[in-house]
Amino acid sequence: MMLSLPLLQAVADSAAYRDFPVIGSRAAVWIAAEIHLMFAAFVLGVPIFAVVAEAIGIFGKDPRYDRLSKEFTRLLLIAYSATAIWGAVFVFFLATLYQPLWAYLTAIFGPSMWVYVGIFFLESFTLYLYYYGWDRWKYGRAKLWHWGLGILLNVWGTTVMFIADSWLTYMMTPPRDITPETSPASIKIWHAILNHTWMPINIHRLIGNVVFGGAIVGAYASYRFLASTTDEERAHYDWMGYVGNFIAMSALIVLPFAGYWLGREIYQYDQSMGITMMGGFMSWLWVIQAFLIAVLFLAGNYYLWVGMGRIPGAERYRPYTKFLLIVLVLGALVWGTPHTMIADSRELAAMGGSHHPLLGALGVMSAKNTAVNLMILATFLSFLLYRRANIRQVVPWAQTGTRIQGAMFIIAAAIVLFFGIRGYFVEAIVRIGYSVYQVGAVLACIVFVTVIDILMARGAQSLGAIQWGKMPARSQYALFILAVTFTWLMGLMGFARSGIRQHWHVWQVMRDNTPYAATPALGYAAIMISTCVLIFLSLVGFIFWLGGLAEKSTFVPSTVEAPHVGH
Amino acid sequence: MWATNLRIFGVVLGTLALYTLIANKIPQVQSEVPKALALGANVTPEQLVSAGDQLFHGAGGCTACHGLGTRAPNLLTDEKGQGTIGARCGKREQGKDCKAYLYESLTNPRAYVVQGYEPIMPEMGRTLSPQQLWALVAFLESNGGTVDVTGSDIPAATAAPAGGGAATAPGAAGIAGGSTDPMAIIRGAGCTACHTINGEGGKIGPDLSHVGSRLSQNLIRESILLPDAKTAKGFEKFKGVMPKTFGHQLTGEQLEALVQFLSSHK
Repeated sequence: MMLSLPLLQAVADSAAYRDFPVIGSRAAVWIAAEIHLMFAAFVLGVPIFAVVAEAIGIFGKDPRYDRLSKEFTRLLLIAYSATAIWGAVFVFFLATLYQPLWAYLTAIFGPSMWVYVGIFFLESFTLYLYYYGWDRWKYGRAKLWHWGLGILLNVWGTTVMFIADSWLTYMMTPPRDITPETSPASIKIWHAILNHTWMPINIHRLIGNVVFGGAIVGAYASYRFLASTTDEERAHYDWMGYVGNFIAMSALIVLPFAGYWLGREIYQYDQSMGITMMGGFMSWLWVIQAFLIAVLFLAGNYYLWVGMGRIPGAERYRPYTKFLLIVLVLGALVWGTPHTMIADSRELAAMGGSHHPLLGALGVMSAKNTAVNLMILATFLSFLLYRRANIRQVVPWAQTGTRIQGAMFIIAAAIVLFFGIRGYFVEAIVRIGYSVYQVGAVLACIVFVTVIDILMARGAQSLGAIQWGKMPARSQYALFILAVTFTWLMGLMGFARSGIRQHWHVWQVMRDNTPYAATPALGYAAIMISTCVLIFLSLVGFIFWLGGLAEKSTFVPSTVEAPHVGH
Repeated sequence: MWATNLRIFGVVLGTLALYTLIANKIPQVQSEVPKALALGANVTPEQLVSAGDQLFHGAGGCTACHGLGTRAPNLLTDEKGQGTIGARCGKREQGKDCKAYLYESLTNPRAYVVQGYEPIMPEMGRTLSPQQLWALVAFLESNGGTVDVTGSDIPAATAAPAGGGAATAPGAAGIAGGSTDPMAIIRGAGCTACHTINGEGGKIGPDLSHVGSRLSQNLIRESILLPDAKTAKGFEKFKGVMPKTFGHQLTGEQLEALVQFLSSHK
């Protein structure tokens, strides 16, 4: 033992960077980490989706949701293996290519890594129990226990994610008392875990995983829809695609609020880091992000509008869609307007200043917040019209209720506009606070309008059953575009989160001394992201195909008329 | 079915290609790593200015705020009728020449926050080496003023801190040219910008006139090296303001001289 200690020290001292053939160590770690994260998001998002679907099946007594839940849990089994494989590749790459960083992180977080492995073990076996016990624990109290297993699966999964988040958020925002001279062995693990961005990232990822899971479910359903040979199958997968899209879009509406919180924490931790992210070399990234979000909003709404073609009674609302489209397009244009860009003196001279004389006013946070909140309101209105398309309310206060709903929309939009305009005339610190009022107005509108709508739909007269399966193929390609865009967006935001550390492994504590320390430009990042998305989607396609082999068809003929999510 | 698969593949590839194309069409900005400078005693002002220019417009990240007119004062162009930074830096603080003012603004930016702006500037000593800091000072002076940074201002390159962090010390010689005169150290380190001692200084930090009666020598030493470890009552809102770089900036002799001096103030 006495002899081995100097030897271990010598091994630790010789920790060095290595390069990876052809693509380099950064690209190797990038691909491994990104694909691992994409699979991880899938295996964390889908169980949330599955357990909610199972609950709807149990408490709503609709067996289709139960089968839906089981169908996706089956895909999880294969996806878990892929997640673990890519996780192992990532760890091996990190340990062999970035030894100094790996040694530093393990010195601080070693115990949490052991806990991580233990919980992953529990999570895997809970999943096996959950899936293989599905038919055995199908009725009565046993079914509730089975549902409890689903909840437990989510608890393990969320805990695992929270642990991993602590490592990466520490790299972004290490506590300020930690300096380059601080020995990692002397850093208390909880001190490192409870860093500035840990909880905001946790919440952002939790919601993001639901969005992602819903989008992948939608893509799976659309694939099966297009491959269907019978009307029953087509109806089943049309319905599944709708559910996936509904979940993805619903969670997407909440996601920007979690993003604001994360951004605010980054600014509070280090203003220069926030400025680098929003106004520094990454400023163009947000223009790309705005474009992607615009695609998501437009594709999601387009799918709903096309879907209204299969709902008797929906023709009443069709004239409104063009106005919604106008709001969405204008909102997307404002959100995509650049403001503060890195520019050299010649570019500044050509522009006539640091901001564009006309468009610069639309590029500020007041305009962008206003645009995105109005886009959210428009999307919610699309959902609302879709929901009530084939019913006629019979409660005596239906007309009053609709007027109140309309008033709520107008008031929410007015509040958003008021604070958006007022934001131009106040200090930055006051303006940031206004976004809370805007978000609050939109969320309140969504909650209260939904409650009124549910109450109004009691005993409503049906104008005809939704004709599931009668969807044009183009609507299904919209779901594919949604899934690809969500996945690409995840890669882009991962680049933003990681890239703001610039040439630091651990921000201002541990410097990246590899030849790849410079943070690449967006063009290179986009190629990397597209490569990762292509690999991931190819593997997911393979998993879907395997799922199809295991069980050729899982559709259950509808016994419930015209179901809507939330009814 | 193959036709459907091909169409799906086409949609996926087309979408990816579109996003990749757009991201490659916009201006490509890479975040560069600040390059280590090897500026010796015989460095010319032109070399310093040139190195500072590259840092200012590149890896230093200065242009993210300075020059936009909203987040931070303009430096290369006029700021509210006072001229460029080289023209106005010597008038900012009484008794402080342009060179000293600029160096301190970089290493301890909260000492001189220009009215109307938020104290958002990071301590550049955390990310840039002393050579880079002096090159920046020279470049800023060259914008409307006279460059008086010379090779003698620039200390020999210091070893990178553990963990690969950037060198943060203004030099192995220590603050105030390595002097062990406590008041020279205190003034050189800019302590009096916040603390009062011997009747001079500000009131942002605790008064040090009787610090020896409140703190032991160990606590005084800890407060200099790890200022956020314990915060004096009533000054909680200023936690984080005091630089954490004195451990690198002071020589061992200077630190002990300072501790002895402060502990004698009972």
